[in-house]
Amino acid sequence: HPVDLRVPFPSLQGVKKFLDFHNFSYSIMIEDVQKAEMLRSSRHRSLDTATFNYEAYHTIDEIYNFMDMLVAENPNLVSKLEIGRSTENRPLYVGGKCTGGTNRPAIWIDTGIHSREWVTQASGVWFAKKVLTQPSRTMDILLEIVTNPDGFAYTHSTNRMWRKTRSKHAGAICVGVDPNRNWDAGFGDAGASSSSCSETYHGPYPNSEPEVKSIVDFVKSHGNIKAFVSIHSYSQLLLYPYGYTETPVSAKAVAALSSLYGTKFTYGSIITTIYRASGSTVDWTYNQGIKYSFTFELRDTGRYGFLLPATQIVPTAQETWLALKVIMEHARDNMY
Amino acid sequence: MLHSNLGNPEGPSPLRAPFAAHKALIPLLAPSSLFQNIPESGHKYYLQFSTEDYRTGEDAGNCLATVLFPKKRSRPVVSIKCSHTKDQKEIQEEDNKFYQRIRHQSKPITASNIPDSYGNIEPALEPVWALAVAGSSSIMWEKSTETLGYFLAQVKSVRQWMRKDDFIEFDYTVLLHEMPTQEIISCHMRLTWLPGQPLKVKHFCAPEGHGAEQGSGAESGSAAGPAAEKGASF
Repeated sequence: HPVDLRVPFPSLQGVKKFLDFHNFSYSIMIEDVQKAEMLRSSRHRSLDTATFNYEAYHTIDEIYNFMDMLVAENPNLVSKLEIGRSTENRPLYVGGKCTGGTNRPAIWIDTGIHSREWVTQASGVWFAKKVLTQPSRTMDILLEIVTNPDGFAYTHSTNRMWRKTRSKHAGAICVGVDPNRNWDAGFGDAGASSSSCSETYHGPYPNSEPEVKSIVDFVKSHGNIKAFVSIHSYSQLLLYPYGYTETPVSAKAVAALSSLYGTKFTYGSIITTIYRASGSTVDWTYNQGIKYSFTFELRDTGRYGFLLPATQIVPTAQETWLALKVIMEHARDNMY
Repeated sequence: MLHSNLGNPEGPSPLRAPFAAHKALIPLLAPSSLFQNIPESGHKYYLQFSTEDYRTGEDAGNCLATVLFPKKRSRPVVSIKCSHTKDQKEIQEEDNKFYQRIRHQSKPITASNIPDSYGNIEPALEPVWALAVAGSSSIMWEKSTETLGYFLAQVKSVRQWMRKDDFIEFDYTVLLHEMPTQEIISCHMRLTWLPGQPLKVKHFCAPEGHGAEQGSGAESGSAAGPAAEKGASF
């Protein structure tokens, strides 16, 4: 039976001698545990958004705490709204940058709908901070950073590769629904699975997932969302629903993204660029009349995949932000 | 879908050893590609793409390839020609350096979660990861079809078996990310290598629909199969 030992430095030689004497084979997993811990991330809570570590992956508590700090530091600009609760009763928060006035046209951005796509929540945190440095625009910005909090908590506690929600529906053998197949647009068509054990399980019916229903309700009641961006990883793609025709915006967005670090993105409609998917977020938002509906797939193209090193968080967020600005500006300049 | 490591540039033959300009294809994003439906024969793809060294990210040359997926279910027919940026001697030297480093370990290497949840790889374990990349691409080579492709998501565990001969041998559990199904497939891989020889890979992947713990499927490792799927899940 393999055993892990953590050996305090003064005991190191003695332990090694003992193991060698008794012919126990061993290998060193971490040379300096303290160093590794310090390097990994600053786990102690930062006191404000200026000292917050954007270059590290955070837990759900740390992100929710960050949101509160952001609001506290900018009470006239930023507000936090609870739009619903997840299956496991976690709050679903949307941060809004409000330009004043009631119900101005808005752009919606969500990250972390698939919980294992960690670079997206991390980028969302960076976007939240960045948004405040933008000069006052005519559009409100709505940002849901942890769109699937139950899944996200699960990736930290139990299974780093968890994608779906954590709902258990009557008659379902397995846990979880793919929140990007649960929308009421072509629900249940080819491009999703009817098996609860599948990663693309569409769920028992549209909007069965509170994480999805809360956004649907919010979008409908807001009534003035003009652009909708749902952020995923990985593959480096900018996707739009079938039927969307204004490809020049996508070309411009991808060029802007690439201008920073040379990261190459491909753009196109979902079905021709990646694969067929039914019941997806932007299919529904597009059908609602939100003309500028996009899905991003951020870094990388498979080398690290979901396990993107934390050093790439900020560069990813920075380059993606340039693409988001193109979309925002286009929506602003082409009001409908 | 095509995946990384189309093998020897001179033909679809045994894998190159790690560090030997491991050809990493950018899947789905072949800079230029052509599709041809040949009636009675099958689907033929013409591809042009650049490659990069998996370990360092540096440019490793360009390739031109054709892939024919025959109408009847047999293995695809691949022809490929690549330009090299590294010469054979350099590759051999790197392979030998890597080999010597592993041979000089006094204790067998064991590790888990490479990279870890945060994308970190211990520098000492990079060669072990590189070996897993090379080995698992042979699994992916076998499993890929015209519509199913794979990426190496994570090395879940690795354990070295000490041998009395010159070969080095590793036992791996690797997680493959399957597209477009999004499933995480767990595979067991036994890998044997000697510089100058092709990598020997034996593998067994957990059957799908068993609610493998690694994906988002099952709660416990229940062996209940999935209900019939409505249409292809792609």
